[in-house]
Amino acid sequence: MAASSGVKVPRNFRLLEELEEGQKGVGDGTVSWGLEDDEDMTLTRWTGMIIGPARTNYENRIYSLKVECGPKYPELPPTVRFVTKISMNGINNSNGMVDARSIPILTKWQNSYSIKVVLQELRRLMMSKENMKLPQPPEGQTYSN
Amino acid sequence: MAENSGADPAVEGKSEENAATGGTIIMVTVKTPKDKEEIAISEDASVSQFKEEISKRFKAKQDQLVLIFAGKILKDGDTLGQHGIKDGLTVHLVIKTAQNSGLSPNSSNAGTANPGSAANLGTSQGSGPSPAPSQPANLFTGFGDLSSLANLGMGSSNFMELQQQMQRQLMSNPEMLSQIMENPLVQNMMSNPDLMRQMIMANPQMQQLMERNPEISHMLNNPELMRQTMELARNPAMMQEMMRNQDRALSNLESIPGGYNALRRMYTDIQEPMFSAAREQFGNNPFSALGGNADSSGAQPSRTENREPLPNPWGPPDASSTGTGTTTTSTTTSTTPSVSNPLGIGSSSLGNGVFNSPGMQSLMQQISENPQLMQNMLSAPYMRITVTPENPPPPSSGLGSTPAAGTNPTQQQLMQQMLQMFAGGNASTQTPEVRFQQQLEQLSAMGFINREANLQALIATGGDINAAIERLLGSQPS
Repeated sequence: MAASSGVKVPRNFRLLEELEEGQKGVGDGTVSWGLEDDEDMTLTRWTGMIIGPARTNYENRIYSLKVECGPKYPELPPTVRFVTKISMNGINNSNGMVDARSIPILTKWQNSYSIKVVLQELRRLMMSKENMKLPQPPEGQTYSN
Repeated sequence: MAENSGADPAVEGKSEENAATGGTIIMVTVKTPKDKEEIAISEDASVSQFKEEISKRFKAKQDQLVLIFAGKILKDGDTLGQHGIKDGLTVHLVIKTAQNSGLSPNSSNAGTANPGSAANLGTSQGSGPSPAPSQPANLFTGFGDLSSLANLGMGSSNFMELQQQMQRQLMSNPEMLSQIMENPLVQNMMSNPDLMRQMIMANPQMQQLMERNPEISHMLNNPELMRQTMELARNPAMMQEMMRNQDRALSNLESIPGGYNALRRMYTDIQEPMFSAAREQFGNNPFSALGGNADSSGAQPSRTENREPLPNPWGPPDASSTGTGTTTTSTTTSTTPSVSNPLGIGSSSLGNGVFNSPGMQSLMQQISENPQLMQNMLSAPYMRITVTPENPPPPSSGLGSTPAAGTNPTQQQLMQQMLQMFAGGNASTQTPEVRFQQQLEQLSAMGFINREANLQALIATGGDINAAIERLLGSQPS
């Protein structure tokens, strides 16, 4: 199936583009992403960071995530996992895996979406009524696995 | 590509360390959620050197800075090169301010914008009977317990904020609740419908609400209803029972076609604005607690019959259920407003005001043991200060919506009444004229100029304006 623009951009090109954007800090500065390992030629493993939004229980905290872009990315959504402990709907409490079925853009993934969009969406969900007041674990804890 | 740094010392007058380290100077953009700055730094500088520069530019301490690049936190020991930070790239900055992380997220009420006094209040209450007075204007230094009263009275310049703080404290501690309920002073207060009404009406949101929606003021003015509500409030078991019945009835209503709409109307017209008003005062919208779990769509209750079991009245308040911890606690300790209890006056919310802090409680114990002490306290000049509060400082805490509550005449009257109670144990030592002052004003505004007659009528009906009007009309054919 062709992308709506008519051209299917090869995976690596896409990811390189995202890498550059991550380094240039495109966006409002509340999320950041980059390759986990600069030598990773497959551009599969990425780390992301979300700054907790103000006026929520996530305020002033920095959440670290791991994003894995499989071989079929961007046709298939990446898998996302929180490294920093967080209490939020849709995030598995014991290992930090983001449940793709609870995050709207992961269920209705489009190939125009990107890692940036995923991170920004997670941040937006932190501000939702159901999440913003959830009691959070003490800062600095991470999931061990 | 590496140039000799000696070639361009003129470029960076600002950063001293440049000349020392070899390597190119690169421009790195440092971005905070609010700000953006370009900082020149040597290519092979370490992260701590970079932070030094940043702390100068952003006027923050180095250990408050957290740098993020490409999704990784930059540690002090790393170098910029290690992370691949090159010319023209952007690094994200978060400045950690210790205060912000401590604030509770009850930001819906206007009262939390003043972290300073909140911290004060928190510490004074937390340390119990003998807090270290932190206010320079604290006149109670010699009094031990009374100093917490001073902090209560003067630490926060706004009575409303005070109430909200206390409410929050109270809600987090159900034991305090039962202690308070047992206190005879509180029970006394609660059996006085006038006082209750005044307390409620003192909330400006409530006043607005009443203007907008006369049905509500009617409800408030009906002493029968108030009395019933307070009976309920006093007896939590009875209340739970009553609520359960009500809520059962209501949820049955839901399943009747058309009944749902009626319910919804009732909710949106009456209860919702009331809760929002009550929420400001009493600290929580119990409905949001109820619907909290699945309320992503805002005020849309589910369209199907509500099959969720009602909360178990005999179960222990499960304050620690995962995820919904805070909401469940508030469900059990604050009360769901239902039709019979429109204002959601729960035993918790009644403990409001100056009554619920450990300092206050021991104070009250002391007072009841020693009436002399009470006399002294009342006559002391500093009490005057608390009673007739001078203009509080301009609301820098963003409490725009709650205007200077201290100068609110209803507030003052309220305070006076409470103090009278302290002194005489009975609010009726005030002349009926004073008690019904507000009602009298309303009546005269409506055109009943005969003050004597108004007063008589009010006394006869116990403050119910509508009944008083009828009485008046009955006796003055016009």
